[in-house]
Amino acid sequence: MSNFSFISETEWRCGCCNKELQPRKVNVEYMGSVFNVELMVCPVCGFVLVPEDLALGKMLEVEQLLEDK
Amino acid sequence: MDQPQLRTLEATCIQEESPQCSAACPIHIDVRAFMGCLAKEDWRGARRVLDRTMPFADIVGRICDEPCRRACKRAETGDPLAVGSLERFCVTTVPMVLKQPRLPAKGGSVAVIGSGLSAMTAALDLARKGRNVVMMTGDEEVGGSLRGYAEEILPARVLSGAVETLDSYGVNIQFGWSLNKEFFDIVRQDSDAVFFDRDCAGLASLPVDCTHPDPLTLAVGNDGCFAGGGTTENGFSIMKQVEDGRRAALSIERYLQKVSLTAQREREGACPTRLHTVTIGIESLKEVQPADPSTGFTQQESAREASRCIQCECMECVKQCAFLQEFKDYPKRLVRKIYNNQAIVQGTRTANKMINSCMLCGQCTVICPHDFPMATVCRSTRENMVAKSTMPPSAHEFALQDMEFSLGEFSAMTRHQPGRDSSRFLFYPGCQLAGSAPFAVEQTYLHLTGHLAGGVGLMLGCCGIPAHWSGRQELFNQTMQSFQAEVNRLGDPLIITACSSCYAVFKEFAPELQVQSLWQILDRMELPERKTAIPPQPMTIHDPCTVRHDPEIRASVRNIIKKLGISIEEQPYSGELTDCCGYGGLMQFANVPLGEKAARAKGLRSDLDGLAYCAMCRDNIAASGRRIAHLLDYLFPAAEQEDPLLRPNPGFSRRHENRARLKQHLLNTLWHEEPVMTPDYKSIKLFIPPQVMELMNTRHILEDDIQKVIFQAEQTGKRLVDPENGHFLASFKPVRVTYWVEYQPDKQGYIVHNAYSHRMILPGDAK
Repeated sequence: MSNFSFISETEWRCGCCNKELQPRKVNVEYMGSVFNVELMVCPVCGFVLVPEDLALGKMLEVEQLLEDK
Repeated sequence: MDQPQLRTLEATCIQEESPQCSAACPIHIDVRAFMGCLAKEDWRGARRVLDRTMPFADIVGRICDEPCRRACKRAETGDPLAVGSLERFCVTTVPMVLKQPRLPAKGGSVAVIGSGLSAMTAALDLARKGRNVVMMTGDEEVGGSLRGYAEEILPARVLSGAVETLDSYGVNIQFGWSLNKEFFDIVRQDSDAVFFDRDCAGLASLPVDCTHPDPLTLAVGNDGCFAGGGTTENGFSIMKQVEDGRRAALSIERYLQKVSLTAQREREGACPTRLHTVTIGIESLKEVQPADPSTGFTQQESAREASRCIQCECMECVKQCAFLQEFKDYPKRLVRKIYNNQAIVQGTRTANKMINSCMLCGQCTVICPHDFPMATVCRSTRENMVAKSTMPPSAHEFALQDMEFSLGEFSAMTRHQPGRDSSRFLFYPGCQLAGSAPFAVEQTYLHLTGHLAGGVGLMLGCCGIPAHWSGRQELFNQTMQSFQAEVNRLGDPLIITACSSCYAVFKEFAPELQVQSLWQILDRMELPERKTAIPPQPMTIHDPCTVRHDPEIRASVRNIIKKLGISIEEQPYSGELTDCCGYGGLMQFANVPLGEKAARAKGLRSDLDGLAYCAMCRDNIAASGRRIAHLLDYLFPAAEQEDPLLRPNPGFSRRHENRARLKQHLLNTLWHEEPVMTPDYKSIKLFIPPQVMELMNTRHILEDDIQKVIFQAEQTGKRLVDPENGHFLASFKPVRVTYWVEYQPDKQGYIVHNAYSHRMILPGDAK
């Protein structure tokens, strides 16, 4: 998962800052493993969007892989 | 699990034992594989099976006296397989496929006296092993008694073909010897070991007594002389000739290597097998008769006859268990995978999912002729995984949080009967009944207080079995200790459990407490006056897996059902053999799709409407789409008179809610106590469409979690918005899981459009 990009056009805007989300590199972490991934993020407050297909797809896959390590 | 434990366990599972036919064959030909090849018209494959084990297959395959046929399990339902005729078909139509290699010469010279089939076999086996073999005979041809066969059965050219075979392995065949003392002296002088084939005229004139060879080694004396073959009290058996030749060759090989002649030879020759094959339910089939008996089987006839082979195996446990079927393996192989999984230090533990998918219900152990303890292995492995911190956190977390909730301030309570300060009895409905049918809990409690003297206390909680199943032994022990302390505080009343899992847990882990099942108590008591119409059709009982070893409870349940006037048709997999609904061992949490399969399989054991007396069986089978009621639904029907058979599965959120409401309701109405304060987030009112609710159930997301997300988002304003439709998307991580909710404010609350979760930690999250 490290150095992967999961950016895609999204309708979601930050409700707090009223900004469009923009691609940003962020660190996500599970069971001691850190991955630098590109996600859609609010440029002002840093709210990170994890879309459903990512949460239930690649992210779940990596979570389960790490749990079995 | 250590190596010796693994070996013991592996030896307990008999799936890999020889089938009866191979065990009865003195040289253990794989008759089952032979039949398998013929049945699928793989003629060369069938010949390869023979070539692998049978010496001189062209000869022996024509005249084999088929001792396996007497052992054939097919005879239990039809005629035994015509093995001899099929061998004959094979060797007369398919030339040799596999020529066994000859190992490099390794010295040692062996004399084989005689030229019957046992001499031929001994010579061939020893020559293949690289020994220098001289076959010496008074005859002018090979075959001994085999030469007496009619030409159409064993043509002379086929028999004499053995000479070429032996030649090709370097056996030096010398015909025309006179068997006398000088001959014997020459033989003894030139060879390290000698085999005497008793199917040979003139042996009596030699100064060695070949009449009583040792049955295990065939040694006559201890100077390297061996004897076998020929006619015995049982007559002249072809396979006995082959067996003796092979046994003698192995003895001679050991003799030449100067190792024990006797160690580990139990499985040579016909031997017993532990393989257990059930033939009940297999259609009885007659032996196929060749259209032309003089030419024997045609290809088609062979395939038809061979396809009668039932391909003996055990697999009795796998045939019944959804878990074993899912992992497509039998306990012997699974236990090896579990052992290997445990041994992994770095790398992926691929068996984790399997270990966490066993229902720990013990059905396989009851079915197994040797009581293979699959549940014990899986549960203790989980305990070991927890101890070594290799247990995947997500496997049981949801179930353990559910248990925590049941034991927490919003659900759990302990009280003496209202107006009393002591209890002779204590009703313990269990967390799942409280979650599934709170009304039944209340009504049952009122019934008990009305019919039992001396005070009936009430305890709502959880027995801790999820902790036990998930291998959290410390948590389980704590739970049991608190429970015991609470029971002691009430003055050690007799505990009445409605849940058979609680009953089993208390019996096993708190044997000093007095426990009885609600069903045993109700069976001895006046039953409530019935207010619900009894279904006109017979129903079937779905026994829960935790009463497998409690025939008294099962009998009480049936008595009560009888008294209610419900007619019952028993299904074959009930009682001691009953299935688990998928809740057992927390399987439905660690493996959601498999849990659904298990519930479906249990529900499909009968076409009839079901009657359960375990809340989880009831709810899981209901969720699988079957009509099923809980016995309490008929004893204490709900006021609104809904058909108990149609009561839906409440799902996880509703169970939480039911437990919390039950506590509030009982405290309020029976004890007149103030309700427990609910947390702020509970003020969030949700509207959840059924399809979203179903999604949440599968994804293990509770209404509680949704309320927390929305409460947090609305408090902080931290949420995404879709300007198109005005939906919000927000996330919150109460403990370890981050929940995402797509929602929309409504006049009275919030409409939930979607919910999902992940465990990865985002920047800014607490770790």
